[in-house]
Amino acid sequence: MSWKKELEEKLIREKLSENLGGEERVKKQHDAGRYTIRERINILTDKSSFHEIGKISGSATYDENNDLVNFSGSNFIFGNAKIDGRNIVVGGDDFTLRGGSADASIREKHLKCEQMALSLQLPLIRIVEGSGGGGSVKTIETTGRANVPEVEGWNLVVESMGTIPRVALGLGSVAGLGAAHLACSHYSVMVKEKSAVFVAGPPVVEQIGQKLTKNELGGYEIQLKSGAVDAAVDTEEEAFNSAKKFLSYLPNSVYQLTEQLSTEDNPNRTSEWLIDAIPRDIKSVYKIRPIIEELVDKNTFFEIGKEYGKSIVTGFCRINGWSIALMASDPYSYGGCWTSDTCKKVQKFVDLAETFHLPVIYLVDCPGFQVGLDAEKKGTIKEGVRAMSAIWQTTTPWLSIIMRNCFGVAGAAHKRGSSYISRCAWPSARWGSLPLEGGIEAAYRSDIENSNDPKAELEKITTRLNKLRSPLRSAESFLIEEIIDPRNTRKTMCEFADLAAPLRKIGMTSRTMRP
Amino acid sequence: MIYSEVSGTLIKILVSKNQIIEEDTDLLVIECMKMHIPITAKKRGKIIDIFIKEGDLVSEGDKLLNINYDI
Repeated sequence: MSWKKELEEKLIREKLSENLGGEERVKKQHDAGRYTIRERINILTDKSSFHEIGKISGSATYDENNDLVNFSGSNFIFGNAKIDGRNIVVGGDDFTLRGGSADASIREKHLKCEQMALSLQLPLIRIVEGSGGGGSVKTIETTGRANVPEVEGWNLVVESMGTIPRVALGLGSVAGLGAAHLACSHYSVMVKEKSAVFVAGPPVVEQIGQKLTKNELGGYEIQLKSGAVDAAVDTEEEAFNSAKKFLSYLPNSVYQLTEQLSTEDNPNRTSEWLIDAIPRDIKSVYKIRPIIEELVDKNTFFEIGKEYGKSIVTGFCRINGWSIALMASDPYSYGGCWTSDTCKKVQKFVDLAETFHLPVIYLVDCPGFQVGLDAEKKGTIKEGVRAMSAIWQTTTPWLSIIMRNCFGVAGAAHKRGSSYISRCAWPSARWGSLPLEGGIEAAYRSDIENSNDPKAELEKITTRLNKLRSPLRSAESFLIEEIIDPRNTRKTMCEFADLAAPLRKIGMTSRTMRP
Repeated sequence: MIYSEVSGTLIKILVSKNQIIEEDTDLLVIECMKMHIPITAKKRGKIIDIFIKEGDLVSEGDKLLNINYDI
């Protein structure tokens, strides 16, 4: 007597679980321009590589003889799979079943998914839609009592932030615990016009007098600027590609190091136009992204958080084939001054680099912290010292290249004082505790006022001081280690990446990063 | 619609109402943190409205220009 009968029933149950929330709900999902969770996993992962865990977990109905009548899967699907030949763990909400809420969920599946990724030391991609397994108002009726809120298993999420790459894709309306899962990641993506992310959606918010559409409340334009989500793309396919691209720069876990990829880009490639890249007029700005693209291995720059804390550009790139975390000032936003948001972005980014052992290259043009009433109201100095502390706590190899401004406390944060960093400057570099501009009149007031020609006196003093602040004078005193020709910057960066590679050490950082 | 992404003083308006502008055209210049920051057109369009004048203080999120990109 074989066990065929049981296996046949198992297959029936598996087949039924593939029906998701039923034909009507699946059609509704498609009509809204969204894939179902099974379609999403199929598109995201390598063909036939998905090994689902707990496919026949769900809820069943039986007849009077205890024979199966119907079966409905739970609304969270997970397992291991491959993307680009690399093992990962993927888990996602089935919005066609009770909107992904706890009512049709089995909590242990969420926990097992987290445990699986953490224990197997594999990247985790969470596809979030709905409330991510969180409760709904109806839960009280299905359970017959109110529950004391808790997020069981959050310890796993916290631990994995310091252990494995976590990517979250918000592919529809995402609220409550779902929004928490999206925000608690190293990289998050939403789809323009089709995703919205909020603590609570429009019907709840209306109760406090705010009548807003989903997009007005939590659309990509809101959440990218708020820093809650890192990127927005036009289609779900692009979201999957973004996840793959992000992961391509990271190891599977902190217990591995990224490998050098072969590159056809010459490490000694020079760039003639960089000699003119920084305008001599100190009030004029320049575009940083073309400079970044010029310096890194061709077409390898992957920007993270473009719309948030915009005076710093952050992203991954390859330098001579090595995976590098790159930060660069953007003078188009507050002249490169660090705003409160910029400081928060820096904290998260250097923590990310430190966690996964990526060397950091920082292209510096920072005139200081943002000043003024707005800046004070946003707690810039508090976030600023947190950013500085995050930099000081890094141990990963670090190269700073000062391209132009480097002033004040925020400027000083181009390096950590706690250990060795590599550093050089372009001839356009200017530095000091405070910029001379605007300060000369105050510092030399009596000289200027007592002069027969105050304007000429001011010019004379300015010319004299400008000569003193030449970076060559600072190099004379070894306050800066090296002034380099901007045209040779790529060579400096490639040499740094080669020197840094053997210094990277595996393991968890002493302070696990927070989302 | 173009909103200000920084706080500062609007020092130059480089376009006028009904003007057709090309991608990457400088539209306005805001002085912010002693730097002159141009606001550029992300794509081709026509200026429908200008909500500010030279010398105005602008804050993050202030409406600056209305541009019709469907031309």
